[in-house]
Amino acid sequence: MGRQAPARRIQLDQSRQRALEVLAAHNELVESLRSKVEKANALNPRLRCAFPVEDRLTSHVPEPVVEKPHVILAADGSQIYPSRHDRVEFGLVNVGAIRLQPGCDLTPHETIHSELLYDESLITQDGQLTEGGLALLRDVSERVRLAELAEKETLPVVALTDGPLEPFFEPQENSQFKDLFKDFLGALVRLSACGASAAGYVDKPHSDLVVRLLEIAALPEQDLSQAGKPPRRFAGVTDISLFRELLGSGERSAVFEIRSVMARKFEGDLKLHFFYLNVGRQDYPYLVRVEVPAWVAEHQELLDLLHSTLLNQCRLLGSKPYPYALHRSHEVAVVTFEEKWQLLNMIEVEMLRNGVTLSEQSHKQSAKDASNR
Amino acid sequence: MMGHLLRSDTAGCVFGCRVAEVDAPVFGGMVRIPIEAEIPYQIYGLIYDISIEDDGLVRQLVTAGQVTPEVVRDNRENRTVPLEVGVLFIGYKRQGEIYHLLPPRPPLSLDEIYSCSDQEVCEFAGGERFGYFRHILRRMDIPVGELLAVHLQQASLAHAGDVGWGARAAKELIVLLRDDYSTLMSVMSALGDTGLRFDGAAGGAL
Repeated sequence: MGRQAPARRIQLDQSRQRALEVLAAHNELVESLRSKVEKANALNPRLRCAFPVEDRLTSHVPEPVVEKPHVILAADGSQIYPSRHDRVEFGLVNVGAIRLQPGCDLTPHETIHSELLYDESLITQDGQLTEGGLALLRDVSERVRLAELAEKETLPVVALTDGPLEPFFEPQENSQFKDLFKDFLGALVRLSACGASAAGYVDKPHSDLVVRLLEIAALPEQDLSQAGKPPRRFAGVTDISLFRELLGSGERSAVFEIRSVMARKFEGDLKLHFFYLNVGRQDYPYLVRVEVPAWVAEHQELLDLLHSTLLNQCRLLGSKPYPYALHRSHEVAVVTFEEKWQLLNMIEVEMLRNGVTLSEQSHKQSAKDASNR
Repeated sequence: MMGHLLRSDTAGCVFGCRVAEVDAPVFGGMVRIPIEAEIPYQIYGLIYDISIEDDGLVRQLVTAGQVTPEVVRDNRENRTVPLEVGVLFIGYKRQGEIYHLLPPRPPLSLDEIYSCSDQEVCEFAGGERFGYFRHILRRMDIPVGELLAVHLQQASLAHAGDVGWGARAAKELIVLLRDDYSTLMSVMSALGDTGLRFDGAAGGAL
């Protein structure tokens, strides 16, 4: 691995340079690029790439000056996955949220919402609640908490969650997903009604949505049916490796729409968009991806408020920039391994007290516990 | 209430409280810890150490250099990083009697700690009894001179109606430390910095 690394690095760098050349060549040809993506998407409905919405691909927007009072709401979730190896099967979704008012000498307000899942709540029409289902339930709960909090505010709101807005769940056709996804969209609609600058913050992104767009740009018209299919022209090149050279400290990229099978389920005001933001210093760029719904992407004031707020929040953590509010909501929400065992013990005691005979712990788990590994 | 007990042993305890508690602990302050028992009693102690623990986030915030008012409040009032307060036991009260002895058993986790009122300080340290000084003087790991000086300063204020209390306490310290010149000098030097006066018939007046 070590021996191959330098050669791989050189190869990737060459791919990246070629991708940058395509980016520069298509910088102002956005209209024709859009049409090319539409054609490719018609040929390949499973296409996943960025779709340009601004006039220039290489736009770099400096930090806006936003001085009006506002409120930051951040929510993060933590979960315990049910385990058949335990004596009692249960799950937990714990969502922590924090409300901060920047520049205001008010104590930030923390809230926590815990949902214990057991018996029927672990069963869906399609069978046992899966880990993916529980993760989506957590994502839904985060957005619902944010919507509830945002609805109480009178000041402009920035509503943050960690990770992409585009949920990952397979298969998307089962009822478990459909029900939860409906709630997910419902919470976003509520945030939209509040006019909140809602965003998903993706730290150290590895996505290549813009790179995939450039691959389509580089394809001759007659080969568009090959869009999104292997072999990929710029495989391994990430979006941040391109934008690192374009974005100065505090600058954001152009806004792009996300084109994917999942993203198609977000319609109208909820359509998923993203931009890259350099939250690093002048001499040490650090790029993150920020996913926003259409109502934010298309509203300059909301976009500016989000841009400015994220930079200010990141600055609070100095050389390792990350939004303070998101870190704090994580601290409020996190369920540690020890806490899981405490909770399991409490549930077991309560079951036994009520005369319930517990099933045996799996021998595998028992051996793990005995050796403490 | 000042805080809740974190850990304890026969001679002292450490309690924790939020940084922004209204009844904030002060160095040398006298505290009491009510103990539930068959015959309830109350332990008295002196605060000899106050430490503020940090964690990774606080360190990161400090190095960032940009600390906003809401972040200060968040860390002081919301985050579970307590102020740790060291207390050495100096006696206890049971069935109305004050004993300058170590308590029968130390307090338990999460027992409540209260600051003593002037009346309680006078009740514990009043009169001619200074036996509790030995609990302070035998500790080699704390700033004995500073602690005694601050205690005498605070207790003298509490003994507003007994202007001779400070002088009697100082005299007792001189007797107890007559064979320990270096500690005596350290205590006297610290007492000198308190502004207390022990001269004249009305010795002990501030």
